[in-house]
Amino acid sequence: MSALEDPDAPNRGLTARQMAAYRFRRNPLAVIGAFIVATVFLAAMFAPYLAPSPESAGSFVDFRNRHAPPSWDNPMGTDNVGRDILSRVLFGYRVSLGLVVGVLGVAVPFGVLLGLLAGYFGGWTETLIMRFTDIMLALPPLAMALAITAVLSPNLINAMIAITLLWWTWHTRLIYRIVKGQMNEDYVEAARVAGASHSHILFKELLPNCFSAVAVKISLDAGFVILFGAALSFLGLGVQPPTPDLGTMVATGSEYMPEMWWQAVMPGLAILYAILGFNLLGDGLRDMLDVEL
Amino acid sequence: MTTLLDINDLCIGFSAYGQHRRVLHNVSMYVDQGERVSLIGQSGSGKTVTMRTIIGTLPMPPGRIEQGSIQYDGQSLLDLNPQARNRLKGTGISIVLQDPMLSFNPVLTIGRQMDDVVRYSDIRLGQSRSKAERQLHLIETLRKVRLEEGKRVLDSYPIMLSGGMRQRVLIAMALLNKPRLLIADEPGTALDVTTQDDILALLNTLVAEEGLSLLLITHNLGVVRKMADRVYVMERGRIVEEGSRDAIFDAPQHPYTRKLMDAVPPLYGEKVRTVTHDSTKPVVEIKGVTKDFETRSGLLNRTTGRFRAVSNVALTVDQGDIFGVAGESGSGKTTLAKLILGLMQPTRGQIMLEGRDVATFAGTRDFRKMIQIVYQNPGSSLNPRRAVGDQLAVPLTFTGEDKHTIPGRVSGLLDLVELPKSYASMYPHELSGGQKQRVAIARALSVNPRILVLDEPTSALDVLVQATVVDLLHRLRREFDLTYIFISHDLSLMRNFCNRVAVMLRGEVVEAGPVTQIFDEPQHAYTRALLSAIPVISDEEDAQKPKVSKEERAEVLATNTALEG
Repeated sequence: MSALEDPDAPNRGLTARQMAAYRFRRNPLAVIGAFIVATVFLAAMFAPYLAPSPESAGSFVDFRNRHAPPSWDNPMGTDNVGRDILSRVLFGYRVSLGLVVGVLGVAVPFGVLLGLLAGYFGGWTETLIMRFTDIMLALPPLAMALAITAVLSPNLINAMIAITLLWWTWHTRLIYRIVKGQMNEDYVEAARVAGASHSHILFKELLPNCFSAVAVKISLDAGFVILFGAALSFLGLGVQPPTPDLGTMVATGSEYMPEMWWQAVMPGLAILYAILGFNLLGDGLRDMLDVEL
Repeated sequence: MTTLLDINDLCIGFSAYGQHRRVLHNVSMYVDQGERVSLIGQSGSGKTVTMRTIIGTLPMPPGRIEQGSIQYDGQSLLDLNPQARNRLKGTGISIVLQDPMLSFNPVLTIGRQMDDVVRYSDIRLGQSRSKAERQLHLIETLRKVRLEEGKRVLDSYPIMLSGGMRQRVLIAMALLNKPRLLIADEPGTALDVTTQDDILALLNTLVAEEGLSLLLITHNLGVVRKMADRVYVMERGRIVEEGSRDAIFDAPQHPYTRKLMDAVPPLYGEKVRTVTHDSTKPVVEIKGVTKDFETRSGLLNRTTGRFRAVSNVALTVDQGDIFGVAGESGSGKTTLAKLILGLMQPTRGQIMLEGRDVATFAGTRDFRKMIQIVYQNPGSSLNPRRAVGDQLAVPLTFTGEDKHTIPGRVSGLLDLVELPKSYASMYPHELSGGQKQRVAIARALSVNPRILVLDEPTSALDVLVQATVVDLLHRLRREFDLTYIFISHDLSLMRNFCNRVAVMLRGEVVEAGPVTQIFDEPQHAYTRALLSAIPVISDEEDAQKPKVSKEERAEVLATNTALEG
């Protein structure tokens, strides 16, 4: 309630950071999201220690134990060659998170940079960048990814490249819109009057004002990248066996539906769990940082 | 006389972020039938919370009524059920909102938006009228606010009306359902002073003609003097003084009221502070400058229109002057500032700073050390995501200051504007409006410029804070031998701050000269109209204002009430 503060005394009480933290804590779904994301990261990091049978992540086979339903020994059951599904899910998270880091690590800086340039310079730079972005956005993403992975050989790296090529556009659009708005603020002109260089204005003045939106977008993106990667793997264009991947596991498991449901449902739930976590976290961040996407 | 609205011992608190604070403390006030009452207070004093509680739009939670009652015409408002309370909206109590630009939906016609008000209240009251009957009623109501071309107004979109007309339509909307109590929240403050004057006069006539009661909420003492029979002064959620208008203005009792009165820059009389300065060494020479803007549209980006923002302006500012550029919105004063700062190139003419041409000289390090600017709104001119110290360092870094001496210079600058050194690590949102403006002034001064352009530096600040910033600016000018170009629409402030003034109207300078000459013997009809429209706080000042006949006024302000487009 800043309007109720005494006008010429410094704002007492909570700092903005404390207020944001308070808003986050008061949002139970956001806290749950943060918890889920933390467990997914921990699971991926410590997969070799947590997995009941780490060897299941490789080309291990145990035909005596194949198609075993969930039990104490195999909490998520076993697959068609007798590997422990829980172990493979834990290792599968490694692949999924690797995909997230790889894709967003390239797509976000690239997209943000183009958005900054387009919004700041305007004119021909803007027309070129934004129309190219529009063209990329107009391509149907799955068909595009299929084409790329089909031309190159289907493996994790190529899937990553395909997703990255499509992903930056959203960040460009987002940042472009924010920068366009910020250009009306006097501080940009003030920096120019002070003699600041283009790179100073772009990266020191404008970029910090984009951070919260980018943070929210990244956390929402993470879930979708996992989903997209899983979709590619499901179609056989992503990670190749025997490397455990959630999408591939759902694909193979689906052949045994509905009798041996756990083979598809358990990895499916694992995907759901991770995406739910990232989305709840993203929504929580959005409320906390008060950004509009 | 019967009491229409009676607020008794009202306490309101807000709970947010796990903290609780009380914002209204035992507020009691009343409005009689047909009476005009004003509630004065600075921003944050709780006047808007009071208003919202009366009309029932206070968000609860976080707000909570802790104590007290509000009686309207014998009914207890706070105990009414929502339907009964809704029935009173517009018919019992009506409100005129502050900002005529933001109060309309831009994609619907005025007629549609006004018709909605009538239609929904008809439904609430269980009446029904045909569309034609309603339209007749709308046109009649528009006539009451002196908008004669009712049909045309109804068919217009908000953007097609001028600010003054929009404010009139807002008033008409408040009158549609024949309320008994009209609440006006800072009416006309977003408008130019001449337009505001019209709006205030209109409100006064309406109150008399329709027998309304008026509760006016404002921070402007001049407006209160014109508009109130009785006055309440609010400070930090408490009513600190109440009394008849004359009692408050002639003999204010409470120290806060007196402080407020003293902080208002006087327009005439013995309290006026006249700044004199003699120098004939020109530092800024504006020679016949014209700036045209072109509007482009269509597929081939062809020029489709031309708009002259600054027209053939010639002015000279001498060393040490505080040169005021006065004008209303759209007069071209900000464009002129941008031209002086070299942010835009004039279409014709030349601007010289200390004998050097801005066109060739702008953008160099020497130029930046010559002239800097302080913007109107420090909320926008300071980057919200950078610490104060970092922002102060920017001009230093880019004028080649040694990296190691910058922290020392930054704390020196904070010292200069009377802020603690620890503020270097704070972010703008942690500072108050006045403090932010001090930071902006420090930033402008960081490279030791000789000329400072002040673009309405105090218009976003409360009057008490404004006084302290003005004092600071005076002190800095003495210490550093600065020259100020002060752009403002606030003529009272200009009278006390500047030594020379130029008045702009639609891109042209209509009158320029020493401050005493412009204010005491204004020559141009527009200057006289401007001066006569300023709300002042004493009868003596009112008597000394130039007298302007209606016809004279109408002539210079012709565009203000005309339909555009």
